[in-house]
Amino acid sequence: MRTDVWLVIAGMALVTYLTRAPLLLALARRPLPPRLRLWLRLIPLAVLPALALPLILVDQGRLVASPAHPPLWGAVIVFVLAGLRVNLLVTVAVAVAAVSALRALG
Amino acid sequence: MPGTVRDGFVASLALVPSVFVYSTVFGGLAVQAGLRPLEVWGMSLLVLAGASQFVAVPMLAAGASPLAIILTTYVINMRHYLMAAALAPAFRDFPRPWLALVAHWINDEAFAVAVARRNPPDPWFYLGSAAAVGGAFLAGVPVGTQLGGLVADPTRWGLDFAFPAVFLALVAVQLRERADWLVALASAALAIAIALVLPGNWHIIIAGVVVSGVAALVLRPEPA
Repeated sequence: MRTDVWLVIAGMALVTYLTRAPLLLALARRPLPPRLRLWLRLIPLAVLPALALPLILVDQGRLVASPAHPPLWGAVIVFVLAGLRVNLLVTVAVAVAAVSALRALG
Repeated sequence: MPGTVRDGFVASLALVPSVFVYSTVFGGLAVQAGLRPLEVWGMSLLVLAGASQFVAVPMLAAGASPLAIILTTYVINMRHYLMAAALAPAFRDFPRPWLALVAHWINDEAFAVAVARRNPPDPWFYLGSAAAVGGAFLAGVPVGTQLGGLVADPTRWGLDFAFPAVFLALVAVQLRERADWLVALASAALAIAIALVLPGNWHIIIAGVVVSGVAALVLRPEPA
């Protein structure tokens, strides 16, 4: 048992829990005003592109948006298939296979 | 509502292979960096936030100060504040001790799958989704600690692309009105701009708060 390592893990666990629990507990119970409800509804629409696009187009602080960048084509495939309401598993599998194939070719 | 739990679980299966491979890689890297398997698994169970764990392990190995590691973890995971706020209305009928437990299972992937189905999501659907993602994560870690450094680079198989692919697919199905497109495009542009100048996860938190906040002030709320 290495106490120092476990203390770091405990600290990491505590601060991570503090990013999850407070707002879930605070906002679950009370009836919320309409504008706050609107904000909560818009959060996913803002957070998901903010998670996805930098993973695709930014690599170590540089913009990588050239046609030779396989994830760019993967993103196009995902957007088209998802827009056609193709099943998520199929969409992701096709896109992952395409990115892998383009990387192998490149 | 066990049926809805199962729906959430099944809807998240697209993510299970990638989450499993990534946590296997994490387990392998962590033992190579000098952590013991029990520590690696304990960290995964108690922190349950892959990105921050990937960053913490090399810091631990390099002998960084505990405070620096813990603060870095906090900053990387601050995006959970946004997800917790957006999920909260779904859980209004749950007893508070349950909420304290559910909070631990908030993660990017389960959040994305559940809000794309319905917003605010069905709580049972969310729990099924979180079980699939969390289960895959926790199952991969011990496999990785046993295999050690044998795990190959997941980018070779394109598996790294599964995460942005899922996030993107799930935002695509939510784009109905012109305002939805505006919010998504503005957030993507702002996040990319910030990611080019600031390291870490600040682009997710800043773009997420600023764009959804401005849009909530400008757009007309639906009548209750």
